[in-house]
Amino acid sequence: NNSSQLSSLPLHILLYVNGVYYIFYFLATLAMIIYKSQVFSYPDEFLAPDLAVLFLMAILEVPRLYLGFKGNLTEAEAPLGLSLGLTVGSVLLCVYLLLWQSYVLWADVLLNAVLLAAYGLESGLKVTAIAAFVS
Amino acid sequence: LCRGDSQLCSQKAAVYSLDVEANPPERIFQLIDQVNPSIFCIHATNYEQALYLKSPEIPTAENFDHLLDKFGGASFSAEPDSWNLDTDAQNPPEANETSRYEYGVPVQTEDAFLRLPSPVVSSWCSDANPAGFLVNQATKCIRSVSVEKCDSIQALSMLFYINSSILASVFQVNITVQSIVVQSLNGMRTLLSSSEVLRLPMVLDELCINAVLAVNYHITHTDTGEIIEAAAAFVLGAISREALSIEQSFEISFTQENTQPVPLSGNPGYVVGLPVRAGFQPQGYPFPAAFLFASLALSSNIHSQLTILHSTSTQDCLAAQGARAPVLFGYNMISGCKLRITAAMKCQPLAQTLLDVLKGQSFPEYVASFGNSQAQDVLDWVPITQLHISEQMISHTLQSSCQIPVSLGIEVKWTKYGSLVNPQARIVNVTATITSTTLKQLPSGREKIIPITSSVVFTDISSPAEPSYKAWPTINIKLPFDFFYPFV
Repeated sequence: NNSSQLSSLPLHILLYVNGVYYIFYFLATLAMIIYKSQVFSYPDEFLAPDLAVLFLMAILEVPRLYLGFKGNLTEAEAPLGLSLGLTVGSVLLCVYLLLWQSYVLWADVLLNAVLLAAYGLESGLKVTAIAAFVS
Repeated sequence: LCRGDSQLCSQKAAVYSLDVEANPPERIFQLIDQVNPSIFCIHATNYEQALYLKSPEIPTAENFDHLLDKFGGASFSAEPDSWNLDTDAQNPPEANETSRYEYGVPVQTEDAFLRLPSPVVSSWCSDANPAGFLVNQATKCIRSVSVEKCDSIQALSMLFYINSSILASVFQVNITVQSIVVQSLNGMRTLLSSSEVLRLPMVLDELCINAVLAVNYHITHTDTGEIIEAAAAFVLGAISREALSIEQSFEISFTQENTQPVPLSGNPGYVVGLPVRAGFQPQGYPFPAAFLFASLALSSNIHSQLTILHSTSTQDCLAAQGARAPVLFGYNMISGCKLRITAAMKCQPLAQTLLDVLKGQSFPEYVASFGNSQAQDVLDWVPITQLHISEQMISHTLQSSCQIPVSLGIEVKWTKYGSLVNPQARIVNVTATITSTTLKQLPSGREKIIPITSSVVFTDISSPAEPSYKAWPTINIKLPFDFFYPFV
C-alpha cells in the first residue's frame, strides 16, 4: 500500500460500480412502478409519493457520486463529508422504497437490498478515507 | 378470488388430499404456505385496499345522479373516489326528496298525505287512502252522519280537505278553493259566486247545512313532476234529520301546466277501447287545432274525436238526428240505418243529407298517431285520406247521374311501435272510403228502402317477426365405448 497516496481505491471502484448500478436500478424501479400501475390498482395519491421518492433519489445521487469522486481524488475531507451526508439521505429514501412503497415486489426487495448494501459499504469506506485524510 | 391473491409471494393455503393407502381412505388436511416463485410477486403492500375487490354501488334514487356524473361519460377513472381514505359516504340530498314526484307516489302534505277518502273493504269511507301523483281517481263512499253532531264530524267540513298544504320543491302549495256549489235537499245545485268564504257545517232548523258532499281536486304540475298549484271544488249540501249516512264522492285530476286537460287515449301508444283522437286544421294554421275546441269535459266533446253513425232503434237515417258514437281504438264497428226514398226527394239535397249522416257534422281531417299526441307536434298527426268509389250500374249509366253515398268505410291501419317487450300501438294510415251508388228516379207514389252502412276496421300492419338465424345442426357421432370389445 503506497503510503503517499491517501485516496482509497476500493472507494473509487465502489463509487464507479455504484454509479453504473444506480442507472440500472433507476430504470428497473421506474419500469416496475409503471408495471404496477397497470397491473394493480394504483390510485394517483399513492403513486405520486413513490415516484417522487424515486426521482428525488436520482437527483441526490448525481452530486453524491460527484462529490465522492472529487473528495476521494483530491484527498479533501469536505466534499467527502458532504457526500456522506447525502448518502444518509439516499439511504432513507432507499429504505422507504424497500419498506413503505405501496407494492413491494420481490424484485424491489432485491434491488433495494443490493443498493443498501452498496451504500453501507460506501459509507464505511468514506469514513475510513476521511479519517485517513484528516490525520 | 382476487388477482392480488395469486400474486402474493407467499400465502397460506389449505390443502386437502386423500390417503388411499390407509384403510379406510382418510382425508388429510394440511395448512401450507403457497409460494409464488415469480420475481414479480408481491412481497408486501402498504396499501390496504389493494387486495380487496370492492362491491359496486347499487344505484338507488339517492345516488343515481352522483353515479351518473361519475360513470355516465365516455371515460372514467378506474379508481372510485371512496378509495381515498376519507370514508364519508355521499349523503343523499334530503332537501330534494319531495320536490319531484313520480307516477303513483303519494302526494305528501304537511302532516301526512293528501287524502282521498274511498271505500276500502265495505262502502264506508276510509280517510287513509292517499292520492297518487298523476293517478286520476274518482271514488264514492258512504259516511255515517248524525245531524246533532254534524259540526263536529271533521269529514263533513271544508277545512278538513284544504287545511294542510302540499309539500312541493322548496315551498308548500296551499290548496285553494276553486268553486263552491250548494246542493239543496231536492237535488238542485247552485254555483256560489264568491268562493272565498269558508262555509262550515252547522245545524239549522233540524238540518245540517254546508256539509261536504263532493270534493274535486285539481292539481297542476310541471313536466318535471313538481306540483305548482292545487285547487279544490266543493259541493256542499244539507243533511236532513232522518239521514243516517250520506254518500260523498271525491275526484282528483292532474293537469300539466300550459296544456289543456285532455284525456289521453294512451301514453304513448293507443290503448284498446279508448277513443281515437282527431282534429282539424283551421284555415291559415299549419297545425291541427283539435284543442281549440277542447274543454274540460272532453270525453263528451265530439269535435275532437273520430265518430261514426250510431244506430238508433228507429233505424231511420233521416230521423237519426246526429247520434254519433266515438270510434274506439281496436274495436271494429259497423252501424247503419235505413233510408226511405220517395219519389219526391231531390237528388242533390238527399246526397248532402246522407253525407252528413254518414260523416257527421264535423268530420276531422287529421288523426293522432299516438294516444298522447299534442296539437303542436305536426308530424304526430296522420291526415285522413278520403276516397270516393261509385258503383255504376252499367245499364243505367246514361240515364241518371244522381250519386248518393250509401256507405262509409273507415280503415285505420296501425302498427306496433317501440320495443318488442312493450309494443305501442301507432296509427299509420286512415282511409275513409265513401261508396256512392246511382239513384234511379222512382215512379211517383213508390218508395224504396236503401240500407246505409258505416264501418270502422282496424288493421294491424306491423311487420311480421323475422326468423332468426338457426344454428347449424351438429353431427354428434360417437362410437359406443365397448365397440372394440375383445381388444379393449
